[in-house]
Amino acid sequence: MALSLTVNGDRVTSTADPASPLVDILREELHLTGAKPVCREGFCGACMVLIDGKPAPSCLTPAALVEGCEIQTVEGLATRSQLNRIQAVLEACDAVQCGMCFPGMVVSLTHLLTTRPDATREDIRAALTGNICRCTGYERIIDATLLALAT
Amino acid sequence: MSDVSATMDLRRRDAADKLRGRTRYTIDRYLPGMLHAAVLRASVPSGRIARLDTSRAARMPGVRAIVTAADAPGMMGIGIADHPLFARDVIRYDGEPLAAIAAVTLAQAQAALAAVDLEIEPLPAALTMADALAPDAPLVHPHWRNYEVLLEGGAREGNVAWEATVVRGDVDAAFARPDVEIVESSFRVGRQNHVAFEPRAVVASYEDGRFHIETSTQVPWGIRNATARLLGVPASQVRVTVPPVGGGFGLKFDLAIEPFAALLARASGRPVRLVNSREEEMLTCLFRENADIRIRSAVTRQGDIIGREAVVLMDCGAYGGEQIFLTTMTAHTLGGNYRLGAVRLVSRAIYTNTTPNGAFRCCNGVYNTFALERHTDEIAARIGMDPLLFRRRNVLGDKDLGATGQVFEADVLGPMLDRMDTLRDSATRPSHRADGRLYGRATTVGTWFVFVGPSAATVNMNADGTATLVTSGVEIGSGSMMQSLPQIVASTLGIPPENVIVRAADTDAAGYDVGVGGGRTTVSLGAASLSAAQEVRTKLLKVASEMIEAAPEDLVMRQGRIEIAGAPGSGRTVAEVATRAQAKNGPVSGTGAFTGTGVPAMPGCVAGHFIDAIDIPVFAVHDCEVAVDPETGHVEVLNYRVVQDVGRALNPRAIHGQIQGGVVQGLGYALHEEVTIGSNGRVCQSGFETYRVPLALDVVPVEISLYEGAPSMGPLGTKGAGEVPILNVGAAVACAVANATGKRIQELPLTPPRVLELLLDRKRDLTLPHIAETWSDNLVRPHKAPQGNA
Repeated sequence: MALSLTVNGDRVTSTADPASPLVDILREELHLTGAKPVCREGFCGACMVLIDGKPAPSCLTPAALVEGCEIQTVEGLATRSQLNRIQAVLEACDAVQCGMCFPGMVVSLTHLLTTRPDATREDIRAALTGNICRCTGYERIIDATLLALAT
Repeated sequence: MSDVSATMDLRRRDAADKLRGRTRYTIDRYLPGMLHAAVLRASVPSGRIARLDTSRAARMPGVRAIVTAADAPGMMGIGIADHPLFARDVIRYDGEPLAAIAAVTLAQAQAALAAVDLEIEPLPAALTMADALAPDAPLVHPHWRNYEVLLEGGAREGNVAWEATVVRGDVDAAFARPDVEIVESSFRVGRQNHVAFEPRAVVASYEDGRFHIETSTQVPWGIRNATARLLGVPASQVRVTVPPVGGGFGLKFDLAIEPFAALLARASGRPVRLVNSREEEMLTCLFRENADIRIRSAVTRQGDIIGREAVVLMDCGAYGGEQIFLTTMTAHTLGGNYRLGAVRLVSRAIYTNTTPNGAFRCCNGVYNTFALERHTDEIAARIGMDPLLFRRRNVLGDKDLGATGQVFEADVLGPMLDRMDTLRDSATRPSHRADGRLYGRATTVGTWFVFVGPSAATVNMNADGTATLVTSGVEIGSGSMMQSLPQIVASTLGIPPENVIVRAADTDAAGYDVGVGGGRTTVSLGAASLSAAQEVRTKLLKVASEMIEAAPEDLVMRQGRIEIAGAPGSGRTVAEVATRAQAKNGPVSGTGAFTGTGVPAMPGCVAGHFIDAIDIPVFAVHDCEVAVDPETGHVEVLNYRVVQDVGRALNPRAIHGQIQGGVVQGLGYALHEEVTIGSNGRVCQSGFETYRVPLALDVVPVEISLYEGAPSMGPLGTKGAGEVPILNVGAAVACAVANATGKRIQELPLTPPRVLELLLDRKRDLTLPHIAETWSDNLVRPHKAPQGNA
């Protein structure tokens, strides 16, 4: 039986095993390779997507569980020509290095920006514990987030 | 020869795509008809292959090709060719490849792996360096004498894969002097996993009788040459291209999985993708090596280091790999930093039945700096001198000798220590925390180097006024390819850096290059790019001088124009001149090449070294404040400061990013990144749950001061800046924790259980019985004995 999903506003179907991790369907079938399967253990956050507006690691999410949900991947966060607010500040602050963690970072921080407009530096640090970065040492990402919250 | 400053605040051009999830790394590559591959790996650390039958696996659904040792005849290595692609008859580590299978889906390939008929007779294993150096140790390579020697000069014997020595002056006499204190210290460090977020990944195809390998690597030419060697084909039959790389840190400076995919592509006639699982990455990562170190110094009560000797054992795992080369580095990491009298060092790469180790950011330097700086504090304590005063008195200055007799130029570390004093003293925050925790601080110094070596560059001037830079450089995340290189070319040609197109690495299109690592991108590729751009500049100025009717030496290139100096707005645009030049003489291009000059060591000082001295030393001073919880042993870093020698900073903001990231990676090494190997020979940390890398809550913002002006042969005075930030983090944290607790720190990482053991005096002093008391008893071959492999 085919699964029916809504991804970035598009209705799509998949014939994959319902137990398949969502990240594999996104990447292998839909060629949305923004979500990165880095650890496949739910620790690193590089495969984070929004499911009905809430961030979740797509590596630990069986596809069948998100049938009928609104799934937003990093590819769906920017409009055609414009980066969203957090993407724009991360670019302006020159925060990006290898870039593998950033799709997940952007998803988590996009959510933080809408739900925690009053977040402090410590709040941001706490919110990022599910998004690991091996390159940047985090601080510039946190600075950028504060900037995004202030503008 | 530039009219525009190369120092810019240029933002990365690859950021927007990376932030949108559009960037296609190697793991994101899909080709039509692509097969998926998986590798069968051994599950014993040592054994004999009694049977390996793939006929049943070959009949499994979806399977299109299977390759084994018979398909890869060559051996690879650095110094000695000791490493086959697949285990042949003998298994030397848990995880060693035995066969590779390509199938229509990854699940089919994995199912086929399970259908390989395999019988292995276990053999005794040497899992630690102490095991491997025991008199009756099983030999990891019983036939080590038969291997092809690629570089003469290192001593070898049994499980000693390589031995490099330095002897300068009369150390025995120094130690025998009546006016010296003799201080002896022992240290042990474990492995560190790079945890590059993109695992090692490759997509290979076989087209027109040649291999095309798209891979996540730092060394396209290294992959080309090593793959050809293993496959037994001419290097010209292998083309390597490199998509954006999702993190390297040295992990991707060695060949890993490319030949499996290449062989399977040739066998199946279809493109083949192979991506390491995270577990494979964790278990078979070319870790920063574990090491055992003993240092002994003879120091006067006034604080002069009269003599020093050291033994450094580096675990290379089952194959020599990069450790063979890294034995060279001990001379410069343990023998750098301080002015020394007589000195003798031996650095030994030891075979064990464990997964091979490799290079990791500031390879060899991180643990030797930890050992040297802890040893320095123990010396200062012994002679009753303030440790900072001792450092100030002894750091290398102008005309001082390094361990190999290399003469260092200019006073760099001294003024950097002064700079750190200013940085530290200007801090207004209260240092001490009155919450019952133990407070400690330390300032440490470190010396590393820029790994120079050959690089090539071509600049093609386009008629529209843009320039295309062609190199074998790879963007691994540091930004060198996105920032420093275009800045160098743009400033030379007076065009905006956005108008410099940087071509991704392709060994068919660009000249030879050693690879992106060792802090060499801005230096070596930068110098080649500068030289290529200068040739283009000269050609354009000649054509422009005819168009403008002015002498070339009166012309400047700036803001996209070639104009008469002192007459802004005069002349022509670069595009007009390039168009005219192309019509008149053909397309304009320039080529550049670079390599290190090779600084001499003192004659007779070194044996078994790949480089006798370092072309571009890089120095760092780190200062760290910690609070140690006496109840739990948890160490919190309160403040961290870095003064780093960068030669000249082309993009300070980019360098700051590298320093923050490098320090945090070092904090992981210092405090909680621990790799252990079980009695079964398998790495115990198989994923992110068990291997704890720093999280956002673990770190502090690093206060940074870039020290400019130290001599460098790098283009425009640059030095590599991305490698060194991790150099003395372990040292600074360890010294600060020692100061906080009053305990002797001999091992890293300083995990809470380890710190608590120290606090409770339950930790015995570290002993290294496999390091002989008498220095020369640690040698396979006496220093200066006839060379050639023992």
